[in-house]
Amino acid sequence: MIGETLRLKVAAACAISPSLRHLRLVAADGGKLPPAAAGAHLQLVLKGATRTHRNAYSLISRPGARDAYEIIVRRVPASRGGSAFIHEQIKVGDVLEAGWPGNLFAPVRTARRHLMIAGGIGITPFLSYLADFAFGGADYALHLCCREDEQHVFDPWLAGKSGVSVHWDTDGRRLDIPALLAAQPVGTHLYVCGPAAMNDEVLELAAAAGWPASHVHCEHFGSALSGGEAFHAFLAKSGVEVSVGEDESLLEAIERIGVKAPCLCRGGACGVCVTPLLEGEAEHRDHYLSAAEREAGRLILPCVSRARSGRLVLDL
Amino acid sequence: MLHSDIKSRPIYTQLEPDLSGSQHLLIVEGDTVLPGRLDSLAGTFAPVEEQLHTWLVGTQAGGLGLGKVWRLPDVADVVDAFACATRGYGIGDRLYVQGTEPFLWSVAKAAAIIGFSADQIHLHHAGSLRRRVWCTHCHTVTENVTTSIASCAGCHRHLLVRDHFSRRLGAFMGVMVDAEAPGEVPAVEENFA
Repeated sequence: MIGETLRLKVAAACAISPSLRHLRLVAADGGKLPPAAAGAHLQLVLKGATRTHRNAYSLISRPGARDAYEIIVRRVPASRGGSAFIHEQIKVGDVLEAGWPGNLFAPVRTARRHLMIAGGIGITPFLSYLADFAFGGADYALHLCCREDEQHVFDPWLAGKSGVSVHWDTDGRRLDIPALLAAQPVGTHLYVCGPAAMNDEVLELAAAAGWPASHVHCEHFGSALSGGEAFHAFLAKSGVEVSVGEDESLLEAIERIGVKAPCLCRGGACGVCVTPLLEGEAEHRDHYLSAAEREAGRLILPCVSRARSGRLVLDL
Repeated sequence: MLHSDIKSRPIYTQLEPDLSGSQHLLIVEGDTVLPGRLDSLAGTFAPVEEQLHTWLVGTQAGGLGLGKVWRLPDVADVVDAFACATRGYGIGDRLYVQGTEPFLWSVAKAAAIIGFSADQIHLHHAGSLRRRVWCTHCHTVTENVTTSIASCAGCHRHLLVRDHFSRRLGAFMGVMVDAEAPGEVPAVEENFA
């Protein structure tokens, strides 16, 4: 199984709701998989008819498991193809290429208490957290905010777990986030994963409640971020021009023409793909560059960021 | 004296309330308060007075209205108060400490044990420069060191007091000064009075 990429066989695929599909992936050669810790994600290479998608999904399998990786994928209505491909094309027995698991959202081991807030499918990293905490006896609470009709969808992974509350948008069931954040003891770490608007609200409320930034952790969904107007980029080192379509990211376009670019999360969080920007103005969509770095305009994260106008010249 | 090329040497700042905090606890080593300085601290913390508790440690200074005031005889009582805290401290709380370095770090360590993170704690050095020194040879801690070379309370070696600082121990590193040439001890200077 040792190599730059993993070959995974789809061992099981089933719909757990009209828009959610659960996949169980095993090593195509029948061997053991590299272990992954709580909060890890897997980058799948999805070879569609017209183009290749590389999407990252949180692993929900038990941390450390080597027999299989499990993921749950939401079918996004405005899908760029990745989630639609998983829902429509993938069948049991298919072999997929994947990167090694990465982890940008690990629980903090020194925390006295873990407070998790999930929005819908944003629960996926926390399913591995729960499996982890069940062994370690950590103090934790998970608040899942979801649609009423999906309140039981994740029950198979939540069965027997204490400290889980489910909320939805109706009187008496909504999560009072300010009250929750105000009531937490010293030593608590907060983790939030959900739609961008929810993430932003929780981060803002945490700051207002005096949470130290070092105790607040957020995982963004990256896939929805990468589309936009088509533009051109020139890769100065490689000496090639690449046109970036409106439904693909700059990174995907670079990969499409065969130029090797480092990446890990593909969601603007990890900074692995950061590339010097020689000319042009970027529309920054990442969560990695500082305000000063954005202002300086000398760096870009091609996995999510695009051209504000015209053409970009990258030192790649 | 508080600046050093040694990266572990802590840098302290003036105390001012962090307005993003929800509750504020100010702990002051009484001996380090200069006349009139407590009044000026009171002014600095006026914006958060409603949410402020002040613990005055080992001081006789009185009559100062810095929020709710509690008097404690000794830093050991502060450590006990944290260790036995019945009221839970919140993730939005802020802790401000003024005093000598052994005092600052005794309080900071006790707070860290119950879960305070470093960015909830603000430390301001005041008063004597005396150091707590940790012997790298026998691991004994020697208190109240004011000299560049000090005798270890545990093994009695002559220790050169370095600027290397351990936040975990709240102490400076002391290494045997005459290890290469036994008995050759450089002149002792009163550097940390």
